[in-house]
Amino acid sequence: MKYAIETRDADVLIRVDGRVDESTWEAFGAGLSDAVRQARDGHLAHLIIDLSELDYMSSRGLRVLTVAKREGDEAGVAIILASPNEVMSEILAISRYDKLFTITYDGGLKR
Amino acid sequence: MLVRFWGTRGSLPVAPTAGIVRRKITQALLAADGRQFDSAADAEKFVDNELSFAAGGTYGGATSCVELEAGDGSYFICDMGSGLRQFGLDSLRRNGAGHAKTYNFFLSHLHWDHIMGFPFFVPAFDPTAKIRIHAGHPDAEQALRRQQEEISFPVPFDWLRADIEFVQLNPGETHQVDGVAVETILQHHAHGSYGYRFTDGEGRTAIYSTDSEHKPDNMASEAAFIDFFRDADLVVCDTMYSLADSVSMKEDWGHSSNLVAVDLCHQAKAKSLALFHHEPTYQDEDIQRMHEETIRYEELTRDGSTLDVICAYDGLEVRL
Repeated sequence: MKYAIETRDADVLIRVDGRVDESTWEAFGAGLSDAVRQARDGHLAHLIIDLSELDYMSSRGLRVLTVAKREGDEAGVAIILASPNEVMSEILAISRYDKLFTITYDGGLKR
Repeated sequence: MLVRFWGTRGSLPVAPTAGIVRRKITQALLAADGRQFDSAADAEKFVDNELSFAAGGTYGGATSCVELEAGDGSYFICDMGSGLRQFGLDSLRRNGAGHAKTYNFFLSHLHWDHIMGFPFFVPAFDPTAKIRIHAGHPDAEQALRRQQEEISFPVPFDWLRADIEFVQLNPGETHQVDGVAVETILQHHAHGSYGYRFTDGEGRTAIYSTDSEHKPDNMASEAAFIDFFRDADLVVCDTMYSLADSVSMKEDWGHSSNLVAVDLCHQAKAKSLALFHHEPTYQDEDIQRMHEETIRYEELTRDGSTLDVICAYDGLEVRL
C-alpha cells in the first residue's frame, strides 16, 4: 500500500494505491491522520480520499476511515471518498459505509 | 464433532406472525405456478430446490443456545438462551435411550438473552442429572439465582433437584472437560463476555465467540482473537450488525459485524464461519441478504483458501 498527500485548491487530497488490509491499516491510518491535520492547519474544509487506485479495503481499513472521520469531525474537516473501483463500491455497499460517507464517482476531485 | 444450533437470535426471542407465514405460503404457491405434487416428499423437494431458505423456511427466533456433540458422552452446551428449553426436552428423549445425564454448560456472559432458558430447563428438576455450569464470570450463580427470585419467576432456584455445580474458567488456561480441551478468552462487552475454544480428541476445533465487540480504536487487540480462532474447523461468531452500524449508532452495544468476522477467520485460517446472534428486528429475508453479502465479501477479500460462510438457524446441524 502506498499513499501520497497533496493540497489542491481548497482540499487536501490523499491518493491510496494497493490494498488496505491487516498488514497495511496502521500506515494508512497514520496517513489519514496526517492528511486531516494538514487540512485543519490549512483551514481547508475537505479531505478527499482518492480510491481509484485502491484494489480493496478490509474491515480494518474501513474502520480506519471511521477513526479518520471522527478526527475530521473534531477538526471541522469533511471527508469524501472519491472514485472507488467496482470491488470497493461493492465493499462500501456491503458494509453500509455508503450510508456513513459522501462518495463521488465522477471526479469529485475537481474543484 | 457435531454442532447443533438450538437458538441463534440475539437480545430477545422472536416469532413470525400470522401475516409473515401467510406471505411465505403465498409466495411459495406463486413459485409453484400450478404444479402438482404426487407426495409430501415431492413437495419437500420443491421447497428445498426451488425456494430460497427465507421463502421456504425460517432462521428461527430462539436466543443463543448451541450444542456440541463431542467428548466422552456428556452434553456440551454454549449459553442458556430460550433455545435451551427445546434442547432440554430433546435431551430427555436421548436420556431415555441411554445418554449420560451430565450437562456441561459454557456461559459467554450473564445477560438475559443468554440465561433466560434455564428456568425452563426440565432436566434441572431431575435429581439424577448432573449440571456443571462453566463460566468466566465469578457471579454466574448469582445471576441465575436472581432471575428465579419470586419477583421475576414463580419457581425458585433452590427447588431445582439436579446436582448443580459452578466452575470458573480462566483465560490462558486449558481445561479438560469430559474428553474435550476447553479454552476461554475475555471479550469486550458490558460486564465482560467470554469466547470458547473446544478441541476434541481428534483435533477438531469449534469456536464460540458471541457478544464480542471489536472497536475501531482497539484493532491491535484482534491479534489475540486471530490466535484464538487459529485453524478452527468452525467459528460461531456474533455478526449482529452491519459494519457501519457497529461503528456508529450501535457502537458500544457490545456486538460485531459480518465483515469483521470474515476478516478474523481469514487471518486465523479457519475453515468455516457461522453467522450468529441475529438482530431480532431482522426478518428472514434480511438475514438471508446479510448471508449472501457476507459470502460475496469473503469472495472479494479472499487471499488463500475459501472460508465457508454459513448462516446459523434454529435446527441447523454442522458436522466437523
